[in-house]
Amino acid sequence: MMGAPEAFDISTVKGMKFFDPHVHMTSRTTDDYQAMADAGIVALIEPAFWLGQPRTGLDSFRDYYSSLIGWERFRSSQFGIKHYCTIGLNSREANNESLAEQVMEILPLFVYKEGVVGIGEIGFDDQTAAEEKYYRLQLELAKEAGMPVQVHTPHRDKKKGTQRSMDIALEHGLDPYHIIIDHNNEETVKEVLDRGFWAAFTIYPFTKMGNERMVEIVKQYGAERIMVNSAADWGISDPLAVPKTAALMKMRGLSDQDIELVTYRNAITAFAQSGQLDEADFNAQIDLTEKFEGNTILRGGQQPRTDKSSIIIS
Amino acid sequence: MRDDHIRAVKEIIGAIVKNNINLVAEKWLEDFILATDQPAQLAKVFVMLPRKTGKLPIAITDDQQEALQAAGFSYIRNWTIDRLARVWLLAGFDQGDKELFFSTINRLFLSAEVNEAVALYSALPFLSHPEIWEKRCAEGIRSNIGSVLEAIMENNPYPAAHLDEAAWNQLVLKAFFTEKNISLIAGLDQRANLQLALTLVDYAKERWAAGREVHPQLWRLVGKFTNAEIFETLKTGLQHYNQIEQRAIALAISESGYQPAKDYISTFPELKLALADGSLNWNSFNP
Repeated sequence: MMGAPEAFDISTVKGMKFFDPHVHMTSRTTDDYQAMADAGIVALIEPAFWLGQPRTGLDSFRDYYSSLIGWERFRSSQFGIKHYCTIGLNSREANNESLAEQVMEILPLFVYKEGVVGIGEIGFDDQTAAEEKYYRLQLELAKEAGMPVQVHTPHRDKKKGTQRSMDIALEHGLDPYHIIIDHNNEETVKEVLDRGFWAAFTIYPFTKMGNERMVEIVKQYGAERIMVNSAADWGISDPLAVPKTAALMKMRGLSDQDIELVTYRNAITAFAQSGQLDEADFNAQIDLTEKFEGNTILRGGQQPRTDKSSIIIS
Repeated sequence: MRDDHIRAVKEIIGAIVKNNINLVAEKWLEDFILATDQPAQLAKVFVMLPRKTGKLPIAITDDQQEALQAAGFSYIRNWTIDRLARVWLLAGFDQGDKELFFSTINRLFLSAEVNEAVALYSALPFLSHPEIWEKRCAEGIRSNIGSVLEAIMENNPYPAAHLDEAAWNQLVLKAFFTEKNISLIAGLDQRANLQLALTLVDYAKERWAAGREVHPQLWRLVGKFTNAEIFETLKTGLQHYNQIEQRAIALAISESGYQPAKDYISTFPELKLALADGSLNWNSFNP
């Protein structure tokens, strides 16, 4: 099934703009930001996520949410990438009910902040009663706030988890056009689209979608309501998954228009329903003199860009 | 598991621990056992323990090995001394106050580093009041850390004995996802259930859609529940995929009571033969 190794030739997508609607930059380096900017990524969404191990207290949630709308957004801006986020209590940590209760109390403080474009990523992990409870509560919060919802579908028992996530969202009276069902695969895509939801695909090596499979899905289902993301995080993942997939789509003969829809435009259309996302903000000039609460990413006279092709690090 | 049975295993473990530590460490552990404020001391002793005991693999006598084998705990032989001594420490800790017992050990779980977490989950079968650890065990299955998952999933009788069906199914499904040794899951066949079978069938279809192979042991948990719907998936596997998968599906069907599937298998001469000569069994699919 695997294709022969092929180099990513960035020139095939030179001049195209990309939007990665799901990437966990907190876990990534400045090198990633540079590479993403170079590859044409102009904006991204960072969904609230878990850190690989459970948080044990409310303050670590508070600090994490604050970093998504604070330091991380600033860091991104220094590379010319507009940073948005979605805020939510992730499913795994919903199972710690006493802590989850406290997190629910502070969520409203964060979801109305500038640049928060949805409630996310929420949904199911191992499909427990506690996960369902906090999924429902957060759907209600989304309804009240008029926010899109970014739904994480489970790795395990995905098909049933996806169906259940959609059933519950509809039960709460949410419009499927406000809901982005994430991490789809060949087994889930048809039903998600048929029921009127947005179908997001995560190009993540070894586990989720491969981009060759992604090409086939767009060929089969078209580009409407489909979007591609990297979900790059602390695992072995690729923050260039969106431009790479666009390049592969180009090589495999998809139209520029379809490529633009699935790697840029659809995500903007979906998340702009929050009223917090404006394409005009993507092209802001990088202000390297700017600081975040007195801090800068440029330490002691550093320049923001270094020449990666040079062996000398001066 | 019966209490006297566990008590006997605890005694053997205690003897093995003594044989594998030096006198200084033994004295240090004895001081703890005699301490009047054990709950306050436990965390420190538990965390410091490897500094006193070292971390070498344990040595074990033939008699001890035989006794463990008879009790179903022979896997302990492969542990290191710090892991065994920590389990022994926890196994002997309860002092009757259930609330205090829970909060003291739960605190260890909350701040555990990897080796501590492995020891804590390994200790589950030996802890008093087994019912109060059910949620903690289910939480452990959410871990991303391989050795922690192995401590819960492999050779551990606690999950099969105490988890509810949803958490149990999650354990099995995650064991496939994280490529654990499926045959080491205690109680695997006894706790097979229809819901798990249906979930695993969906998982197999997803793997096929992604162009990936399906673990042959998966069919072991499906066979008994074969119905018309599952049969359709089994047919797909038989028709399109590799020989190992085919043979596993054939074996699964041979364990089912679903006649149309059995009749269908008879149309594959190679599979029919393999079943007839008895060469197929689930152990033959181990890596």
